[in-house]
Amino acid sequence: MTDQITDRAPSDPQPEDGGGRRDPLSMLFQPGAWRIEKRLVVRPWHEFITLIAALVAAVAIIAGLVLVIGKSPADSFAALYNGAFGTRESTLETLVQATPLILTGLAAAIAFRAGVWNIGGEGQFFAGVMGTWFVYDLWGGLPAPLLFVLMFIFAALAGAAWASVASGLLVRYGTNEILTTVMLNFVILYILSYLLAGPWQSPDTFYYQTQRMADNTYLPRFFSVSRLHWGFAIALLAALAVYWLIRRTTLGYEIRGIGSNMVASRYKGIRVGTVTLATMAISGALAGIAGFGELLGLHHRVQLDIAEGIGFTGIIIALVARLHPLGVIVAAILFGALVNGSTAMQYETGIPKALVFVIEGTTLALVLIAAMVSRYRIRKTG
Amino acid sequence: MEELFTSAVIVGIFWATLRIATPLLLAALGELVCESSGILNLSLEGTMTMGAFAGFYVANETGSILAGLVAAGLGGAFLSLIMALMTVTAKVNQVVAGLALNILGLGLAFFWYRSIYEAEGSIDIPTVDTMEAPWEFFPIPWLTILALVMVPVVWVFLYRTKYGLELRSVGHNPEACDMRGVGIISRQYVAVVFGGVMAGLAGSFLSLGSTGLFFPDIISGRGWIALAIVIFGNWRATWVLVGSLLFGFLEATQLALQASDVDLPYQLLLALPFVLTIVALVFNRSRSNVPLSLTIPYHRGER
Repeated sequence: MTDQITDRAPSDPQPEDGGGRRDPLSMLFQPGAWRIEKRLVVRPWHEFITLIAALVAAVAIIAGLVLVIGKSPADSFAALYNGAFGTRESTLETLVQATPLILTGLAAAIAFRAGVWNIGGEGQFFAGVMGTWFVYDLWGGLPAPLLFVLMFIFAALAGAAWASVASGLLVRYGTNEILTTVMLNFVILYILSYLLAGPWQSPDTFYYQTQRMADNTYLPRFFSVSRLHWGFAIALLAALAVYWLIRRTTLGYEIRGIGSNMVASRYKGIRVGTVTLATMAISGALAGIAGFGELLGLHHRVQLDIAEGIGFTGIIIALVARLHPLGVIVAAILFGALVNGSTAMQYETGIPKALVFVIEGTTLALVLIAAMVSRYRIRKTG
Repeated sequence: MEELFTSAVIVGIFWATLRIATPLLLAALGELVCESSGILNLSLEGTMTMGAFAGFYVANETGSILAGLVAAGLGGAFLSLIMALMTVTAKVNQVVAGLALNILGLGLAFFWYRSIYEAEGSIDIPTVDTMEAPWEFFPIPWLTILALVMVPVVWVFLYRTKYGLELRSVGHNPEACDMRGVGIISRQYVAVVFGGVMAGLAGSFLSLGSTGLFFPDIISGRGWIALAIVIFGNWRATWVLVGSLLFGFLEATQLALQASDVDLPYQLLLALPFVLTIVALVFNRSRSNVPLSLTIPYHRGER
């Protein structure tokens, strides 16, 4: 199809409307006008100012939306904050919400570092849940420590395996991993749906869910007053491990290499295919571990609504954190706070919880635009 | 098994196939045009939800389905305009922008719905009249006919008009277009917003065409299926039609299976479209029609 465009002879008549010169936006690129051009150096304060502007704009838009439905923005923001950090219990619950998000955020961050667009965090999370339940179902009678280790390993392996379907196709056939990982999310959801309707279904219920797991498989909790479980510690350790991996190991160096310049990396002798496979396996394993933590820490039975968009939110968290493993922790806690605070906000002010999605979407859109805008400047040219 | 092959069931599956395929076809045709210009819009799910809600809200307020459809188109256009602003003008990564707008679209629709209809604990859920069937022998809403008509329209537009050729060129080789003076920005804006309008209409089919209701997960993955159909159809209008009908047929059969006593896992049929899409992606790779610059933002003067 490209032939139709390229093999026209130069003597062909030009399109009489002068092509793009009539675009209003292209006026900006005309000489003698204001000109948008790339900055040669982007200083931190350029980024900082545009980021602040984006956040101010986001708050203004959200406040406007709250005003439109006749509520007070100040009250709602206060309720949101108090719900998330107002008491010791609510702060701990925020961390509970942040736990799986740290792991799926890391999963996305490490893959994106390598330039591999793993959008399949949601499916790999399900794979982790299924791996955990598989072990419990098969060897539930084993002593608790051994059972935990086996469940953890199988959760990670299942997540890694499901991610490897996409990366295998990418390395072998060059199929776009964005598209395959999105498709695989649905495939595993229906596999789980089948299992929950049949072989795994709890015999005493009509619902699509498994039996409740035995008490000795619950992840221990830190404080009696909250639901905060060991999964949070696992998530923090995982963040440190990913940080170490990316910064201090050969694989990490190669991951950053193929992410920033694939061609140069190939010439340097980095085996791009192998590194891609390894990265996706690690990414999938992290998302799988998130499933392990949620199942054993909170839900204790497999249901179809166990993920609630945790995989997709992880992608956003990774980007807000600029793909930095430790930044992921901060971003995940912020998102956990939004989720947790919104329940209190709905209860106290009557503003629908769904406002959180609007906050997330608006903020992310504006922050992304700001990050790009900070790389440009407007200058009058002669 | 025999009970599945009675004529009543088969006729039922036939109409159900067309009915289920309609929103998929509308959204997929819009996405096809959008992707042809080199912009991958992952926010179909959110855009369709916006359309479903905007259409429902306006139809409920005005009592006019036509006004509802216009609102649905505008709702889709609104979200896709933000998409175009982010990806074409600000050159934000398209995958990320799509996911962000997905959340925004879902969030706006849920938020408005809950604050208008479920405020202060009222659970009085309104319904609107649904679209009528045009003729007695065609027992499904007339938006289906529009969707079918759009297939040749989109095909002619993409393959038989100068603007369509230029639009596809922008999706393949923006640098060459720029050199020849073909405006990239305006064409991508047009394509993205067209995709948004179509997705909005697709969403409104679900609220105004079949249920007369709006509820938060009304789209329930159909936006992603529409994306899959574009890939399955190898970025060709005719194959997008085939894909929509095939996916609609699988879903219709699945529903018939669930209603009957036949003991076949219906989830298999639901998963099949996604598996088929991956298979198509692998097998079409040597004659893939994918726009070569899909997801790659164009920066003038850079390589």
